Amino acid sequence: MEFLLQQAINGITIGAFYALIALGYTMVYGILRLINFAHGDLFMVGSYLGYTLVIALIISGLIPNLLVALLIIFLMAMGAVALMGALLERVAYRPLRRAGRLAPVVSALGASIFLENAVMLIYGPRYHVYPKGILPDIHWSIGGAYVTLVQLATLAVSILLMGGLYFFVQKTRLGTAIRAVALDHDTARLMGIDVNRIITLVFLLGPALGAAGGIMVGLYYGRISFVLGWGYGLKAFVAAILGGIGNIPGAMVGGFLLGIFETLAAGYIPGGGAWKDAIAFLLLILILILRPTGLLGERVVEKI
Amino acid sequence: MSKKLLVPITFLLVLSMAIGCKPAAKEPIKIAVQGPITGKWAYEGEGFVKCVRLLAEEINEKGGLLGGRMIEIIEADDKGEPSDSSLVAAKMVDEGVVAVVGSYSSTCTEPASAIYNEANILQITPSSTATVLTTKGYKQFFRTCFLDDRQGLFVAEKFKDWGIKKVFFLHDNSTYAKGLAEWAKKYHEERGGEALIDAITPGETDYTPMLTKIKGEAPDAIYFTGYHPDGGLLVKQARELGLMPDILFTAGNACNNPEFIEIAGKDAAEGVLVSTEPLPHDLPYPEAKEFIKKFEAKYGEPPASIWWVMAADAFNVIIEAIKATNSTDTDKMAKYLHEEFKNYPGITGPIIGFDEKGDRLGTIHKWYVIRNGEFVPYEK
Repeated sequence: MEFLLQQAINGITIGAFYALIALGYTMVYGILRLINFAHGDLFMVGSYLGYTLVIALIISGLIPNLLVALLIIFLMAMGAVALMGALLERVAYRPLRRAGRLAPVVSALGASIFLENAVMLIYGPRYHVYPKGILPDIHWSIGGAYVTLVQLATLAVSILLMGGLYFFVQKTRLGTAIRAVALDHDTARLMGIDVNRIITLVFLLGPALGAAGGIMVGLYYGRISFVLGWGYGLKAFVAAILGGIGNIPGAMVGGFLLGIFETLAAGYIPGGGAWKDAIAFLLLILILILRPTGLLGERVVEKI
Repeated sequence: MSKKLLVPITFLLVLSMAIGCKPAAKEPIKIAVQGPITGKWAYEGEGFVKCVRLLAEEINEKGGLLGGRMIEIIEADDKGEPSDSSLVAAKMVDEGVVAVVGSYSSTCTEPASAIYNEANILQITPSSTATVLTTKGYKQFFRTCFLDDRQGLFVAEKFKDWGIKKVFFLHDNSTYAKGLAEWAKKYHEERGGEALIDAITPGETDYTPMLTKIKGEAPDAIYFTGYHPDGGLLVKQARELGLMPDILFTAGNACNNPEFIEIAGKDAAEGVLVSTEPLPHDLPYPEAKEFIKKFEAKYGEPPASIWWVMAADAFNVIIEAIKATNSTDTDKMAKYLHEEFKNYPGITGPIIGFDEKGDRLGTIHKWYVIRNGEFVPYEK
């Protein structure tokens, strides 16, 4: 029982990261029908910017208050990566918007390779490790399962960000505009919505959330590398499909489910560690056979 | 050519051969050092040459071998490329070398060994550990390094000594790590131990599902055979999940890297054991201390890699074979090394002998323990 509880905590922690990154994929897909393969790398850039800022602001002693310092680090890195995301859209995707579906995907892959190599050349190819001991080492044992403060904080921040995004999209005027553009660009334009600005907004929001995830991965796990975005990006992409790509709550559900599947596969099947990904992806295939639009995806009625 | 000339020419030839037998003009014994003397592993190839030259000069100063024949070292640079390796091996055959030390990587040693085998030239590699090299039935091929299974054997024997019964072997599905984990598991089970085995996916950031599973199995020890970036993270997360100190965390030689400690964190890594070939300066044998002293005196720095010293041992083994058989005949030397060569005091430790495949018996692996963020030899 204590191990089941521990595995549930492990799975939810992993799933929270997948969910946070999956939102970036799903929002862009919802609005442009484009899979932004560079999203995982924007997440990785966020984690590297966080690393630099942690050293510059906390380790140097520039800002003695930890919470203030972390808030500034999150805001700065999220802002910078958001701008990078918007710039990426402007440079790599907008010129290709009317060029069919394949060209933007190739462009996205190119952007992904560019970002990975840029970070490798700037920071060097070795692993980087977030400085130890910046966050307080507080942990509890709940029924034999082990939970840390950082873990809970990470989870809380993830849920807060996801909830905030959901509220923004569902309840605000800008959010309504995003949903309108997702339904139909041309009609949205007729309703007086500036479609390009809405797309830019989506490319600001997704990468900002990704950057937050990147910093939290760094703070929680410590080790980051320039290929970090590849593994997380792939899993988050799968999570987005699992939940129903284009659907925001779906991405969250998909992220958590994938994290939990993986954990259970590794934890309860003998020799399952080696087969964990295969098992998780097999489950994905089964779900997609039964529900091709994903768990929460809706079949959009073709308009004639 | 007329028949008239044939007689004097034959006479002259015989005469010249007779002159050649005089002590002053004795034919040198040519020994090749093949390795990546230039290229990406030049560091290792250069080290081979330095070690072997040092030993050869010593022998020559004492008057050489086989009644005054000098040793001539011939450098065979294969640049670490298999294609160059074949070419340079063919060149060494033309040169008439009697034995070869080398090459460095298994990918270079393999094509060269086919050529040396065909030409029947004694070859000893100091550093190529691929199992396949000694499975071809070559009678004149040996190595002074140890196969990966020796590390597994060493680990299993130590676990038995320490009374560790249940071990969780964890690898990362790479050929090397999986092989080592499976060897160690096999030897551990042969010694009556209980073993479990599973793998992680390298490059991931969260190994807590696997570690929680291990915690549930409650083994006495974990032996992780993958590479240091994943090993470091495993140690960190294992510590966080409370696996230590109840479970002893041990790892293979791919974790012998300072980054392992950096990623795990100094505190988390404290007390973790790593099995690996010793660094040259940690070799406890008098032969090693003496060799390192001589090496430092000549080159101004100690030998940096264990493979350099393995090359010195490979050369010494060749010299022993020449001395013992009093010849440079490959068949005689190979037979001697297979059958009679026993318990030679090597620089990298006693060379118990070679098995029928040409692999070195025994092991020189050591445990290192992490103390205050440093690897220190662990004597137990």
